[in-house]
Amino acid sequence: MPTITYAEAIRQALIEEMRRDPSVILYGEDVANFGGIFRITAGLKDMFGDERVFDTPISENALVGGGVGAALTGLRPVVELQFADFLFTAGDEVVLKAGMWRYGHGGAYKIPLVVRCPSGATGVGPEHGQCPEAFFMHAPGLKIVSPSNPADAKGLLKSAIRDDNPVLYFEHKLLYATRGEVPEHEDFTVPLGKAAIPREGDDLTLVAISAMVPKALKVAERLAAEGHSIEVIDPRSLVPFDRETIIESVKKTGKIVVAEESYRTLGVGAEIGAILLENALEYLDRPLRRVAIPDVPIPTAAVLEAFVIPNEEKIYQACRELLS
Amino acid sequence: MDNQLKLDIYRKMLLSRRLEERIAELIKAGQVGGFMHPGVGQEALQCAAIATMRPDDYLLYAHRGVAYWVARGIPIEKILCDLAGKEGGTNRGKGGVMRVVYPELGVLGESGTLGGCFPIAAGAGMSIKVKGEDKVVLCFFGDGTSNRGTFHEAVNLSAVRRLPVVFICENNGWAVSMPTERSTAVKDISARAAGYNIPGKTVDGNDPEAVYDAVKEAVERARKGLGPSLIECKTYRLWGHWVGDPENYRSREEVEKHWRRDPLPRFEQKLLDEGLLTDKTRAEFEAEVRAAIDKAVEFMRNQPFPKPETALEDVFSESTAG
Repeated sequence: MPTITYAEAIRQALIEEMRRDPSVILYGEDVANFGGIFRITAGLKDMFGDERVFDTPISENALVGGGVGAALTGLRPVVELQFADFLFTAGDEVVLKAGMWRYGHGGAYKIPLVVRCPSGATGVGPEHGQCPEAFFMHAPGLKIVSPSNPADAKGLLKSAIRDDNPVLYFEHKLLYATRGEVPEHEDFTVPLGKAAIPREGDDLTLVAISAMVPKALKVAERLAAEGHSIEVIDPRSLVPFDRETIIESVKKTGKIVVAEESYRTLGVGAEIGAILLENALEYLDRPLRRVAIPDVPIPTAAVLEAFVIPNEEKIYQACRELLS
Repeated sequence: MDNQLKLDIYRKMLLSRRLEERIAELIKAGQVGGFMHPGVGQEALQCAAIATMRPDDYLLYAHRGVAYWVARGIPIEKILCDLAGKEGGTNRGKGGVMRVVYPELGVLGESGTLGGCFPIAAGAGMSIKVKGEDKVVLCFFGDGTSNRGTFHEAVNLSAVRRLPVVFICENNGWAVSMPTERSTAVKDISARAAGYNIPGKTVDGNDPEAVYDAVKEAVERARKGLGPSLIECKTYRLWGHWVGDPENYRSREEVEKHWRRDPLPRFEQKLLDEGLLTDKTRAEFEAEVRAAIDKAVEFMRNQPFPKPETALEDVFSESTAG
């Protein structure tokens, strides 16, 4: 199996799906001639022509709302937002249009729309560095995926494009250059709604999302050296959410830490905590621990950003606290 | 406009007017709930513009009244069932009368937030262009809604991509309680077309023939791949913003002045003068319309409410592209 980067995996998924289905189109700011500000779509305009791959004005509401209109009328648009934060710019179109058009019209239409959302803190401050998945988990009608490695990046994007519902696809900017083995064949997909267990263990469940997954795996390695067996769970999809895998793991370990790059209040960890309170309270022998951004915007200066973004040391300390 | 088309538009205007009168009675009598923004006074432009459409074109109507759906040919009992939140409508009780939908005739539905229609219209235009079709999108909106940022984004995008969208502004002088001259920096909404380098035209929205001609020209232009147009139809909202609006923000004199320009009797008189309509045929039309409405109301009354647990359906489609 070839080893490629997360960025290349996204690009492969786009190319394969555009070849497979002529109704897939791709557009956004600077995606065609420039190839995207993160270079994901370089060369795609030449491959597929400028009706299927095109640059747009700076108009996030029109981009996402246009995607809804195109999806209603038979296309499968993939819209690139330059930063996940711009979901808020297009908030009405994301939450009220993409999420609710089908429901409000009694299921008369399908909305096969993918919005690609580059996420994550990279020294770019409060409005270009967020992982805002949790905001949109609260919005009915949207599917949400956050791949943590190249194979999932490819497989989940292919599933998202084939899905007949709106999917917010969060691609973490710090993962673009990471490498991993990725199946080449066109039929490879990763189903939405199925968690992965990249490391099995018995003593503690460590749920990690997106760029927190590689950090969690390093922490698990370090704790293994100290004699602790950590189970790492990567939900991959936040909507639909694979509750069962987490519940089953906690039944085995009795302890759970959630590491995420969301704000702490009502983040993904808060939802996981509620799921466990409802379904597995009697199995928890220690309180849940959340490693998340304290409820402040993301600062720009590296020293400040590093202070608020979860890192290996913070995840390690949270685990140690429960294991002691 | 040929004689048959004139009569057809007249009948649809009449049916729309009588249907809204009946809906207002039903709401005032507490017989249906519903959230209805009447379009009384604006039926001429709505029916005439929609008469330019082919069956395979797309429609994004605005929130003002029933005439869009009547003109497009959606059965009126379905409209009443949506109003009442019953089975037998178009949206299974999910969207009320603001979200009448009819995929068979390209009726895409409605955005609950004003101005949500513009990006959707541009997107439908993108589909048409990508597929190489010669369909068009008609997108209706009010003068107040033209102040949403989505208008700017979507009209500009449509212009630069040459999308086949006809933007039809119903300028009725009022955005709920806000008069256009206080909300809007231009006198004519059509002047905004210059900002997008597209054709913009203002017509008398109470004259169905003028509206038909202007929209037809824009539709033909769009079909040829020459891009979007903006048509402003000057009209007036003869009733309140919603059924039950106290209308304490405008004078009785102003409203009475506009009742004298009501497009329905005006068009009726024109057809009488042209000999297309007689007192006898007019009375027959009235009787037909009332009978159709009676029958539709009866149908609606006999329909059940949806099963409560169906509230959990229609969030996601279970299908995929395979």
